[in-house]
Amino acid sequence: MNHNNSLINKELRRQIVDMVVAGEDGHIPSAFSILDIITLLYREVLKFDAGNPQWQDRDYFILSKGHGCLALYANLHRHGFITDKDIAQFCKKGGILGEHPDRTKIPGVEASTGSLGHGLSFATGIALGLRIRGRNNRLFVLVGDGECHEGTVWEAANVARNQRLGNLCAFVDWNQSAMQLLPHDDMPAKWAAFGWNVQIIDGHSENEIRRAIAQVQFHGDGIPSVIVAKTVKGKGVPLIEGHGIWHHRIPDASEYATIMEALT
Amino acid sequence: MISPRQQFADTMLAIGQADPDLVVVVGDISHGILKPFAAACPGRYFNIGILEATMMSMGAGMAAVGLYPVLHTIAPFMLERAFEQIKLDFCYHRLHGNIVTQGSAFDYSNLGCTHHCYGDFALLKTLQGCEICFPASAVEFDRLFRQAYRNDQLTVYRLAGYDHEVALAPGDIEFGKAVKVAEGADVTLVATGPMLKVAMLARERLAANGCSVEVVYVHTIRPLDVDMIRDSVAKTRNVVVVEEHMRSGGLGDDVLRAVYATPGLRFHSVSIPDKFVTGYGSYQDLCESCGLTPEAIVSAVAAWDI
Repeated sequence: MNHNNSLINKELRRQIVDMVVAGEDGHIPSAFSILDIITLLYREVLKFDAGNPQWQDRDYFILSKGHGCLALYANLHRHGFITDKDIAQFCKKGGILGEHPDRTKIPGVEASTGSLGHGLSFATGIALGLRIRGRNNRLFVLVGDGECHEGTVWEAANVARNQRLGNLCAFVDWNQSAMQLLPHDDMPAKWAAFGWNVQIIDGHSENEIRRAIAQVQFHGDGIPSVIVAKTVKGKGVPLIEGHGIWHHRIPDASEYATIMEALT
Repeated sequence: MISPRQQFADTMLAIGQADPDLVVVVGDISHGILKPFAAACPGRYFNIGILEATMMSMGAGMAAVGLYPVLHTIAPFMLERAFEQIKLDFCYHRLHGNIVTQGSAFDYSNLGCTHHCYGDFALLKTLQGCEICFPASAVEFDRLFRQAYRNDQLTVYRLAGYDHEVALAPGDIEFGKAVKVAEGADVTLVATGPMLKVAMLARERLAANGCSVEVVYVHTIRPLDVDMIRDSVAKTRNVVVVEEHMRSGGLGDDVLRAVYATPGLRFHSVSIPDKFVTGYGSYQDLCESCGLTPEAIVSAVAAWDI
């Protein structure tokens, strides 16, 4: 199993830590939980044009768990949607990057998320709208497992299946956050019960992410797919892995050194 | 007389046949009257299920790909339950769309507080990019919808269950503009929705007492035609606002803000008291129990000793 030995992903993780230290704010572990999925999407899967983010034929990616936005920002920066200056101004006065992605400010961001339970419903409307328009764009939505406490996630799952929105592919960042509060949490069974095609993968294995996406048929009049990704909050840095104080913590100088050493 | 609700269905059919971008989404109501639209516009009608929050987010998603969604179900379920979806997915995103609510105020009189919605103006006025209108006759719905549905705002149409029974010339109905229904010199009555009928009855009774009443009808709550209201109140200096909305946050607040600097101003609000309407009976019964009557207007004006 490939356990995130990608140099690119280490580099992006270091960038995220630097952004949090400079911006004095941010959710590092939530970003590390989903970084490998988002990086692979932008490197190998999504059709986009950074110079024309509204390109009609693009694939849509919506980060519904908005607090993981640093993983998205790092990729938008790597692929030319946003600039070095934007990154430097994370959580700074006058900047466009805050702790949740903002469609009205950031090129390439399709939805302003942060309040959980909006992204999949919004994406479901886009998918239905695209079908009405006779277009075949693919849509990817990433939701958190804690976010799946929200009833709207299941409203959207119900509608998307019944409207046969087969161009929709959801990822669930199944990092066991949800289970802390509601321990009965058979995530794959829930999605299967709603009639979605379900795959379960290691969300930090590039090969498994790649293989799972390749299995999705993206048939415009078909069954939507969900890839339930087993992930680790804070993945890649033992100091911050798991649940607890690191959810929303800024590393001090000593912790910073430890984190960077782990990411070398 | 065609009801505003039937006119909604007729207008959808007429526009939908001409405009391929119009999409109608309902939450398991009005599917009977919308059958002609569904038949004439295949693939653009969805009885999506009973899930108002997702219905709102989906409408915003459709707007994001350039469609003009029309979302329709019972008022409180859309506006109150799904308020955050309206706020974020439509308004914060600056996406356009149309919400047509069924059951204004306490039209569903016997269904109780779960089906009442009389704080909607107050809620919606907190949102930038949100227009509010209250068509209380068929011609108004048709005219207002045609004028506003393709603009860049979210427009909420509060369908009235009861017609005000005042014949308005179609050419006089302009989104964002009030209508001067009757001229007068002593008192301005500002009415919205079916309360126009109540205002006109009060005007007759006050005229019998020698009081000359001007009636300004407001079908568009946001943007409000403050110019017509100010002009009228500058003349009369006495204003009564009549509305099927809670006192707090209703049209009355906006009218008072518009005219508060008028020298010698006297203001009165005939509106729903700031509490739950818990009784049953007919719509008319609830109007009377809330004091939404010609007598209440006449009594307020009489106290001014004009």
